[in-house]
Amino acid sequence: MAEGATSERPLSPHLQIWRFTVTMAASITHRGTGAVIYGGSLLLAVWLYALTFSPSLFEVVSGFVNSPIGFIIIAGYVWALSFHLMNGLRHLYWDSGRGLAPKTAAMTAWLVYTASILLTVFILWSGYAARGAA
Amino acid sequence: MSRKGTSSFIIQRASAVLLIPLAIWLLINIVAHIGADYASARAWLEAPFNGLLLGAFLIIGAWHMRIGMMEIIADYIYSSLKGALLFINWLVALGVIAAVAWSIYHISFAG
Repeated sequence: MAEGATSERPLSPHLQIWRFTVTMAASITHRGTGAVIYGGSLLLAVWLYALTFSPSLFEVVSGFVNSPIGFIIIAGYVWALSFHLMNGLRHLYWDSGRGLAPKTAAMTAWLVYTASILLTVFILWSGYAARGAA
Repeated sequence: MSRKGTSSFIIQRASAVLLIPLAIWLLINIVAHIGADYASARAWLEAPFNGLLLGAFLIIGAWHMRIGMMEIIADYIYSSLKGALLFINWLVALGVIAAVAWSIYHISFAG
């Protein structure tokens, strides 16, 4: 390596020179939703621990979950889990060596975005409707 | 974490396969239990299999999350923080597994 030749190169993954594609967006979203589920599952574990051992802690957690911020967190968790689940199926399909053609991968990426949003709306709508009726 | 690439790859996919039905089950139950109060949430958790399935989701998920977060840290962190973050990532996973296992043992077997 010639000296100085390494200094001005963009660092991988070259975000500044990539053209936007839906497959790239789905890849980034898979990581992002994974991180969201990481945080949300910690909250779910605290909820479980409180439900098991401490009614007073459960009231605190429950009050937080039922607040407007809690709604955003639940909606975000449900969508993140829906997306990561469906895109995870896409990844497992790729691991079998299929579905890797650019047109197929782009089509399944759009499918995962659309289906995960529809599933999230359905889950939240039916969940909050049932709560209103109870 | 060196020389663990192949086993991490396999565990990540095996846990993913196990998490598919568990995640579907969880999503259905989130629908049914949004905003549940203590008594009804507790009754749900004490019902056969609910505690075990929630525990399985969180424990298998903790291991899946640890590997995923390890990959994110390995890709983006180049500084001396990397070792500390990987260590915290381990602690979080082990902490979740311990707290969940203790809760589920208490509610499903000892309670």
